Amino acid sequence: MMKAILLGIAILLSGNIFAEEQAIALAKANVDLSDKKSIKRGAKLFGTVCIACHTLVYMQYDPIAKEAGITLERMPLQVKKWPLDVKPPDLSLETDVRGADWVYTYLHSFYIDKSRPTGANNLLLPNSAMSYILASYQGVQMPAPDLKASRGIYDHALQWYDVLELQSQGSMTPAQYDGMVGDVVNFLAYSAEPYHEKQKHLGVWVLGFLFVLFIFTYLLKKEYWRDIRKDR
Amino acid sequence: MVNSRLLGWINARFPWREFAKRHLTHYEAPKNFNFWYYFGSFSLLVLLNQIVTGIWLTMEYTPTADAAFSSIQHIMRDVHYGWLIRFMHTTGASAFFVVVYLHMYRALIYGSYKAPRELLWLIGMLIYITLLLEAFTGYVLPWGQMSFWGANVITSFASAIPWVGKYIVVWLRGDFNVSGVTLHRFFSLHVTAVPLVLLGLVFIHLVALHYVGSNNPDGVDVKHQKNQTIAFHPYYTLKDLAGAVVFLVVFASVLFFAPKMGGFFLEPDNFTPANPMKTPEHIAPVWYMTPFYAILRAVPDKFFGLLTMASAIALMFVLPWLDKSSVRSIRYKGMYSKIAIAVFVICFIGLGYLGVQPVSPLRSFLAQVYSIGYFAFFLLMPFYSRYEKTQILPEHLTE
Repeated sequence: MMKAILLGIAILLSGNIFAEEQAIALAKANVDLSDKKSIKRGAKLFGTVCIACHTLVYMQYDPIAKEAGITLERMPLQVKKWPLDVKPPDLSLETDVRGADWVYTYLHSFYIDKSRPTGANNLLLPNSAMSYILASYQGVQMPAPDLKASRGIYDHALQWYDVLELQSQGSMTPAQYDGMVGDVVNFLAYSAEPYHEKQKHLGVWVLGFLFVLFIFTYLLKKEYWRDIRKDR
Repeated sequence: MVNSRLLGWINARFPWREFAKRHLTHYEAPKNFNFWYYFGSFSLLVLLNQIVTGIWLTMEYTPTADAAFSSIQHIMRDVHYGWLIRFMHTTGASAFFVVVYLHMYRALIYGSYKAPRELLWLIGMLIYITLLLEAFTGYVLPWGQMSFWGANVITSFASAIPWVGKYIVVWLRGDFNVSGVTLHRFFSLHVTAVPLVLLGLVFIHLVALHYVGSNNPDGVDVKHQKNQTIAFHPYYTLKDLAGAVVFLVVFASVLFFAPKMGGFFLEPDNFTPANPMKTPEHIAPVWYMTPFYAILRAVPDKFFGLLTMASAIALMFVLPWLDKSSVRSIRYKGMYSKIAIAVFVICFIGLGYLGVQPVSPLRSFLAQVYSIGYFAFFLLMPFYSRYEKTQILPEHLTE
């Protein structure tokens, strides 16, 4: 027990709840949850590629997910044995856990690493068990050889594209790939909070109502308090 | 009129009229309440919000280790306006501490804890402790990583008690580790035991307040003075109503547009289900507990750290007997008291900030400095409040 509490306090002492130390800076994902088309494109990709390994259980009743073929039956819920014994995480809340920028950068920063059983590695999540499945779209990336020499010219923090370079293009141009990953991240952000648009919309009405209510309550208060001012 | 006949019928059998008179229409309150006097009624409003939304959450929440996490997602996605009810509850939790801290600060600057309101202050402190307990038990319920490991760390504090500590930890958890048993009992405490205590304490807080009467920004006695007080209803009920709408604007802005408050109100790590096999890299309490947590880790030794943290809270209880000043309000206290309160505010906010930051040598040093400032405010109070030169109290309220 003493050990447990010491460990507990040691963990407490290490405490930043927000930023983790990253090997590279995160790229901006530009999530737009009002962009239904982008969300649907992302859902379609999830329903064809990601769903091979990842579940999305909390989206089982969602209409957009259903339309894209993301159903409980098609999710790999029954698979017992995974490569490297790592069960791919459920992604329903991934952008809440890691942040949209993290997922966007993660999907950009795979590179060839022959020393790994998967044949690939990742800058954000070193020794990730995820295979380089996106290589068919993105192409193959390798660590840039002259990084150290050129480091001085970067006045910003290192991004994945500073560290990695494209060896051979896949079925998409880099711009198309950025767009596709953006769609997937947008869809995952939607999966984390499918109520978001409704929430924003209702919020505007509630605030509007409260502003009007304030005018009336303030005038009422003022009217009553006039008696007191006279006493002075 | 049917209405008045009905009221007459009730009043012949139940002291409704006397009650309304005593607590509303004939409760005489000083007429110079300012901005700081809103937060008592705001905390009642938030308490009501927590109870009502809590009732609805309980209808769909499942307090078992297997289903707790997914039942929250069920509420957020499948229940009509479930996200709204849950965000009202989570935003309300943080809002509760915001208004309670400001309410306590008001008592601090205007000396509302001084005679004859010492018991009122003590009951208020008990409410604060109960609220911390309610917040902690509630935080465990979503059964995310932070819920689990937070419960683990906080219950393990009890193991620092010599000899019996490790038995107390098992007794608290109901298991040798934090488990579904712990979750289920925390649920019970969160939805029945602690709220009942809280409501009872709030009730006697109000009874005590209405018996001794409200203090005011001048800290002068106004009871039985002509033209110094006004009826609570309609004057303060209407003022508090307008104030409550402004409060709700702020509350709704957070609720609808930033319910996670950048990780301060809902922490990213808690969106991962509890996993006893995987310790998160960083465990930190929610913002309202961080000042005390910073004090805890400012002390290198575990046992003395906990003791220091406990005394930081205990000192707040004895505040009425530490203040030897002849006046209540900061307006008439001397320079020393004014400096002391400024130091206290800087130290408390500084500790709260350091509590969410990772440790570095500079931050540890700052936390120690702020902790000393915090304790100095209380421990030196008997001296600086007695020997400073106070200003002359006015005979009447000044505004």
